[in-house]
Order: sequence, then structure tokens, then C-alpha cells
Amino acid sequence: MITLEKITKIYRTEEVETSALNEVSFEIKRGEFVSIMGPSGCGKSTLLNIIGMLDKPDSGSYNILGKEVANIKEKERNEVRKQHIGFIFQNYNLIDELTVFENVELPLIYAKVPKADRKKRVEEIIKRIGIAHRIGHFPQQLSGGQQQRVAVARALVTNPDLILADEPTGNLDSSNGSEVMELLCELNDMGTTIVMVTHSAHDASYCNRIINLLDGKVLSQKRNSTERNKLKVEG
Amino acid sequence: MFKNYLKVALRTLNKNRSYAAINIIGLAMGLMVCIIVFLFISKETNYDKHITDHERIYRIGNESKKTGMKFPVSPAPLAEVFRAEMDEIETATRILPGRQEILLIADQKRVYVDKSVQVDSSFFEVFDYQFIHGDAQTATKKQNGIVINQMTSEKLFGNENPMDKIIRYDDRTDYVVTGVVDEPKGDAHFAFNYFLTDNEMNDNWAMNRFYTYFKLKEGVELADFLPIMTDRLLVKIEPVIEKYNKMTIEEYKASDETGRHYVIPLKDIHLHSHTNYEISQNRNIIYLYVFAAIAFLILLIAGINFMNLATARSAKRAKEVGVRKISGASKGMLITQFLTEAMMQSLLALFFAFVMVELFLPGFNNVMDTDLSLFNTGFKETALFALIVTLIYGLFSGSYPAFFLSKFKPATVLKGDMTKTKSGSFFRKSMVVLQFTASTVLIIGMSIIFSQISFMHKKDLGFSGEQVMMIPLQTDAVVENFKQHKDELLKHPNIKSISRSNSLPGGITSQTMFEVGNSDEQIPMWIIAVDFDFLKTLDLKLAEGRAFDNQMDNDSSNVFIVNETALEKYNIENPIGKRIKMATGNNRDATGKIVGVVKDFHTESFDYEIKPIVLALSSEQWMATIKIAPENAQQTVEYIETKWATMEPSHPMTYHFLNERFGAIFKDQENFGRMFLYLTILAIIIAAMGLYGLASFTAEQRTKEIGIRKVLGASVPQLMQMLTKDFVKLVLIANVFAYPISLLLARNWLSQFTYQIDMPIMPFILASVIAIVIAVLTVSYQAYSAAISDPIKALKYE
Repeated sequence: MITLEKITKIYRTEEVETSALNEVSFEIKRGEFVSIMGPSGCGKSTLLNIIGMLDKPDSGSYNILGKEVANIKEKERNEVRKQHIGFIFQNYNLIDELTVFENVELPLIYAKVPKADRKKRVEEIIKRIGIAHRIGHFPQQLSGGQQQRVAVARALVTNPDLILADEPTGNLDSSNGSEVMELLCELNDMGTTIVMVTHSAHDASYCNRIINLLDGKVLSQKRNSTERNKLKVEG
Repeated sequence: MFKNYLKVALRTLNKNRSYAAINIIGLAMGLMVCIIVFLFISKETNYDKHITDHERIYRIGNESKKTGMKFPVSPAPLAEVFRAEMDEIETATRILPGRQEILLIADQKRVYVDKSVQVDSSFFEVFDYQFIHGDAQTATKKQNGIVINQMTSEKLFGNENPMDKIIRYDDRTDYVVTGVVDEPKGDAHFAFNYFLTDNEMNDNWAMNRFYTYFKLKEGVELADFLPIMTDRLLVKIEPVIEKYNKMTIEEYKASDETGRHYVIPLKDIHLHSHTNYEISQNRNIIYLYVFAAIAFLILLIAGINFMNLATARSAKRAKEVGVRKISGASKGMLITQFLTEAMMQSLLALFFAFVMVELFLPGFNNVMDTDLSLFNTGFKETALFALIVTLIYGLFSGSYPAFFLSKFKPATVLKGDMTKTKSGSFFRKSMVVLQFTASTVLIIGMSIIFSQISFMHKKDLGFSGEQVMMIPLQTDAVVENFKQHKDELLKHPNIKSISRSNSLPGGITSQTMFEVGNSDEQIPMWIIAVDFDFLKTLDLKLAEGRAFDNQMDNDSSNVFIVNETALEKYNIENPIGKRIKMATGNNRDATGKIVGVVKDFHTESFDYEIKPIVLALSSEQWMATIKIAPENAQQTVEYIETKWATMEPSHPMTYHFLNERFGAIFKDQENFGRMFLYLTILAIIIAAMGLYGLASFTAEQRTKEIGIRKVLGASVPQLMQMLTKDFVKLVLIANVFAYPISLLLARNWLSQFTYQIDMPIMPFILASVIAIVIAVLTVSYQAYSAAISDPIKALKYE
């Protein structure tokens, strides 16, 4: 589904040049749940931004769903994002002025989905992630776990092929964190490809594969052998 | 999607009420000024345009070739010549407005009515009044006919039909009512309450007293007509030129010392004609420009507030921009969203602006002596104008923040902390400089206007109008027996002096040709016919020679006093005892001598130079002036009124004080100054509101820095200084721009006054001080709040 080849990203200031990614190459297959790990500053978030087309690589090739997207224009990137990618962030990034329903509805509005259809889809997804009773609330009225669930619902509502999660449990306590990870696993079980950046070995244990980065390079890639993955492989 | 934009916009406004208030109230004030200025300009630029065929109607006057000085009057026979002998002209009329209130008597009612006019039979052909009774064709054909307006009709006849009834004019002449006209449909450069028919043949081409209007035939171009008209009129005035100018036509045409005709379109009179003889005071077009410029500046200042606060708040909206972008919003969609928000705030402001217009319009009318109303026949145009301005404002002020915010990269804003961003800070600083440049220019301008007004008030006028009552004499009997009445009145200890004249400062209207010494050169000078005590009553000072003396002179002495300007202008040396011959005027061809020179005194506002003036001795004049003592003035006035009732029992006494009447000349400037002051205060308030908002965001952005500095030992004054100095710097930079602009504009404005102040330095210093004080006071509150905050909370802020 995703192929990265020799992706390089350099940040330049007036005096300093920092190589955030240095010829990173790997592949992610449809239905995989991949975790990207590494110490702070190793390039995890930069890599996720490039995969999510929020940032452009300086060199290298990026192919998603058979299409080369490394150097396409902002308008086309926007279209690809809209159609195929959902985002989940550590700090939820919900719009404070919109209710739960309206936050989840937002990507459908931009996708020009008719109103009746939007309502049906939003209600379905909200029910599915278990926050239907909070549908009219504003983000400030929710707990961190509930806010992240809304963010997950927003990422899912367009039925994306790929979900990118940037430390989705970073701001949550362990109980809420586990709930969110369970939710991601459920999605993955239903066929959604997920790429997650995390510091947490516990969270990474839910994934099929772990890619370790160091100083902008892929240090190692390994298959995960947790119970869930074993079952999945066997199943 | 639009609904979503509106929803977010409303909730954002609700959440940030103080920010919304600064924007909406600031803009509402700006729009209010715009709407009022629009109403004012609409009214002023539409004078006489309600008159049918106004674009073909013109007024003819005379101007000096040498000085360009204009006189909007013309000889009596001119209108008839236009009608009878010029094919290019459809019709023409001459009018002679009266300048006093006159007693009208009808059905036992005795009422003083002002604004009278003598009109010829074609008046209502040129100016289409709506007739309630009678008709335009016949109303002015009858000798001694009078057409009255509805107000006069009600005053004299109540609800009765006044047609064919008699009105006794000034208790002397009877007129028959031949028509009643409705109020004109619009404003005009003249407004009359009654029209006396004047169809007398008058072939005096030497006297320019009448106002002549003509209507060109359709298709005739003024430019083609003017040379034809000039040639034909020269033939008519040839005998006058030969007699008084002692020139042939060719010499007259070639000479720079003579006059020529000029023509002004009817629609231009109100704003472009400012001669000594206007029928009513016209408006100086500079006021329209100044008010329009101030309205623009105020709107600009409010717009800058909007842009500055929106970009300063960008950190707060950054996350939303990022989320919307990753949810599929394109840049265009985001721009539309932020523009929608700007538009919504603008439309809300528009609503408040209309409410404020209703509240403040009476005040404006009072200050500017006008009668604007919002809900008049032009409301649709006003509303459309206000809407267009609002939409342009919304686009203008919303566009920068919209483009600025929509450029945010989601990868940065969703992860990073935008509060540290320096983005847009140079733009914001530039805008603050622009705001304070505009405000400082206004403060300097206002200060210079008031300096000039104060100068006009304090300047020695050369005469004293204090406690001088002006009382028109209404009947022949009182004129004839005035000496007797005067002696009787002077017995009162508080009546200091009494005199008579044909005119007074503020209303001198007669110009006559003179010969002085052995020269037979005709020189034009202004003439006031006065009695022996005129100099004493008005406290005029002699420069040389003597005053009129009833021991040495009498009415037939033909003695004259001239002013200093007359000597200077015409190089009259050793004037005392010189022969002076008055060539035209009431005492035609009177020859006498100069007995004194009076020091110059002002007879008009300071826009005009002092004119050469001749005081001619005459005891048969109709305007009495009585100087009373300041003590018990009210009782003295009452005493005079009681006495007057026995002197002129048919006419109740009417009076004005000369200083008040003369002061009316400055009223226009004073009104303008006051309005300028109010608008300047408004501009400063809006600018200060913006600065307040900006300071609060600056303080918020620097919360962490303030906390660290406090922990490290910074005192509150040190922190306040740190937070305010940047703003003070901006205000100082604004001064650098404001000074030359103000200097240029002030010089331009002062140039309209012949007597003007030297360019003062104080307004510039004062404006800088005011601007800095306002900036410091505005920012200090926010700086103080930030400086005294708990450092622990501040450090937790991020």
C-alpha cells in the first residue's frame, strides 16, 4: 500500500542544517498495523508527516496506493488526504467551538457528503466508539479519553484506507490509553491500515510490525510476536 | 459548509467577547461616521438638483479681470434682454432678495416674516414650485401680487384659502395674494417665504443689484453660447462703459482693470460660489473633503484593529486551521471561512452603526447647523452605500488575516506551539504606526483649527460690537423724527450712544466708484452711509484727521472718512482735505472732501482681506445702533422696547446685538472645528481600543517570559516598562510620519484665511504627548495586570 524509497528530509535554518530523515526506505502492506519507534528527535513525526502528506520530502520516492506522491502539488495532496487518510494526534486536536457531532462531521462536509448521509454516518461512528451520549457536548466538557475517541471517530468517518496516529495515548492515563489502543486494534481487525508513532513499548505491542528509527535512519524492523498478532496470523 | 462557518464564527465571537467588542464597536463607530458623512455629502451635493432642468439653468454675475473677485449680481434689464433677444435662451428671471424681517399684516394678524424676494413674471418658469393655490403662469403677472409659501399662509390666514386676500407689507403697501406654493422638494441655495411681483421696467445697466438666472434651450452648449452672450451684452453696456469707464468697447475688452461676465451652473452655486453677495451662506466644499477623509481614516483605524487582533490571535486559531486542513479543507475554503467571519462581524457592526446614527445624528445636526435624517427619501441609497462600505471593509480587513491563517502548515501548527511565532508581528507593528500616524495627524489638525479659531476671536476687529444693539427703523415717521427719539433715549444713563447707518460690519454690500484728488480715475470702494455718532457707537479709531462733527458738518456737507486700506491700496497720500467724488450710488455724483482716516476694521470673516471703505455722512439711514452699558443690560433693553412701542406703534421692535451678528460669520468655522474635534476623539478612542486589544495579546504571549523574569527578580515597574516601551516606540515612529503630513495639510487649510496664525509648534508637541500618554495609559493596564500575576501560574501557562 505504501512504499518509501530513500526518503530524505533536511531542516535548514540560517546557521544549522539538520538531517531529520536520511534515505529512509520501507514498505507497508494493506491491513498492517505498523508502529514507528525511536528516541526524541529521531525523525518519527517527520516521517509520519511525510506519510500523511503534511510535509514534503527533499528527495526520494513515496508511493501510496500505486501513485507517486512525493512531489505532487498541495491541491492534489489535499485530495489524497481527504480520500484515503485519517489522522489521530496526541493532543486530540478537536475544534473547541464545535460539538462532538460537528467535529466528527467536519471531514464529511469538506468531502461534500449530503447532509442526511452525513448525519447517518456520524451517528453510526459515534455509536460505534461508544460516545453517543456525549454527541452534543463540546470538547472541554469531555475527558481526555473521550476526546481521543472523538478524534478517532473523526479519523474514521470517511472510511480511510490508512490511519496515521501520532502518539495517540500520549496524553491519556493507562486505562483510557488501553481503551484507545483496543479501538485501534478493532479497526485494524476490520481491515484498516494503521501507522502509529509511539514511545510506548506497551502500545507498540499491539502492532504487527515495529520500525525503529535512530538519527533519521531505519535502525531495525521486526515482526511483533504478541498474543494478538499470533492469533491474527493463525486466524 | 457555510452554516458551519457561521456557527464557528458565532461561537468564536461569543467565546472572545472583548475581542469581538473591540472589532464590532470600533467598526460600528467608523460606519456611523461614514453614514453621517454620506448623508451630509449627499445633502450638500444635491442642492438645487430637484429643480426641473437644473442642468440647463445658470446664474450670471460679474468678476474683476484683475483680482478675480466675483459679484453674483447683474443689472436689472439683463433678464428681459435674455428673454427677448437671445434665441439660445428658453427663459430667464431676475430676483432681488430682501435682507430683513418685514412686518406683514393680514386679517388683523401682524407677523414679522423674513426671506422675502422680488421676482419678475418669469420666476416660476425657471424655478418650478408646486402651487397649492393659483398657478405659475398667472401668479406673477399681476402688479402688486404676492405669492406666499404654506408656512406664511398659515401664519397669516390659518387654514383659510388666502387667494385674492390682501397682505399689507411693512404697513405701507398692499399686495394681493396670487398664489400659495408648497415647500420645495429639495434644498436650494435660496429659500424664500414670500415672493413680491416686480415687473417694473428698469433700464439701469450701471447698477448691479439683481440676481439673474437663465435657462438655456435644450441642445445649446454653454461654451458655444458664452462668447455670443458676451458680445451682445457689451453692446448693451456700451453707454455705461463710455460714461463711467471712459473707454471704448475695444479698450474695455483689452483692459485688465475692467470686469467681465461669468456664469455659474445652478447646481454648483451652493458648494462653489463664495462671494460677498450670496443670497444665503453657501457651504465650503473643503468641509466635504475633510469629513470624507476623516471618515476614511476612522474606518481605516477600525480596519487595522480587526487585522491586528485577528493576526495576533492567530495562535488561537492555528489548531483549528490545522484540523480543518487535515480534514480536507483547501486554502480557498479556509479563506472563505475567515472572510465569512469578517463579513459577519462587519454586518453586525452595520446594525449597531444604524442605531448609533439615530442616536448621534441630532448632535451632528446641531453642531453643523443642518437637518439630516436617516429615514428620508434617500434611505435606500444610504443603506446601499453603508452595505457596500461594510462589505468592502469586511473584505479588506478580513483578507489579510484570512490569507495569513490559511497559509499555516498543519504539520507545524498541530504539533508545535504557535504562541511563540513571530509571524505577522512586523505587519502588526506597521499597522499600529499607520493608526497612530492617522490619529496624530488628526490631533495636530484639530489643534491648529482651534488655534486659528481662537486667533479669530482674539484678533482686534477694529470696532466694538459689544453691547451694540442693531434695530431696523421700520417707518418713515421714525426715520424723519429720529433726532427727537434719540435725544429722548439718551436720557437713560445706561444708553451710551446712538447712531444710524445703512449697513454694519458683517453686512456691507454697497460698492461705488470714486475719484480722489485731481485724478479722474474711477476707483471702486465700499461705502457705508453713517451719521455723526457712528464712529463713537462702534468705537472706531481715527488714524488721522477728524470724525464727523455736527457743529462743523451737515448732511449736505459731502464730507467723507476713508479707511487705511483705501489709502494704501490706491496710494492716496496726504488724504486730509483731498477732493473726493462719488460717481454712483445713492448720492450720485456728490463731490466733497476727505476729513478723516479711520483705522482699519474688519467687516467680513478672515477669509477676506479688509476692503477700501468710505464712510459718507448721511442722517437718513434705516439701521439704528444703540450702545448700552453692560450693567443692567436686560433692563436697558426693556426700557428701549417700551420707548420703541411709542415711537413705532405699528411695528414691534426687533433687534440683534452686533457682536452676535458679526460672530455668526465665524460660526461656520467654529462648527467645523467642533465637529473635527469630536471626530478626532472618536478616532483616538478606536485606535486606543485596538492598542488595548493588542497589548493584552502581547502580554498573553509573553506570560512565560514575564514569569521567568519575575522569578529572577524583575520588579513590577521594570516589567511594565518592558511591556510598554515597544508600543511607545511605535507611537514615536508614527510621529515622524505624522509631522510632515500634518504640516502640509495645515498649510493648505490655513491658506484659505487671509488673516491666519503663524504655523505653531505647540500642536505638534501636544499631539505627540497626547498620543504617547494615550498609548501608555492603554498599554499600562494590561502590562500591570501581567506584571502582578503569579509567576508560578505564568510558568505553567505553556
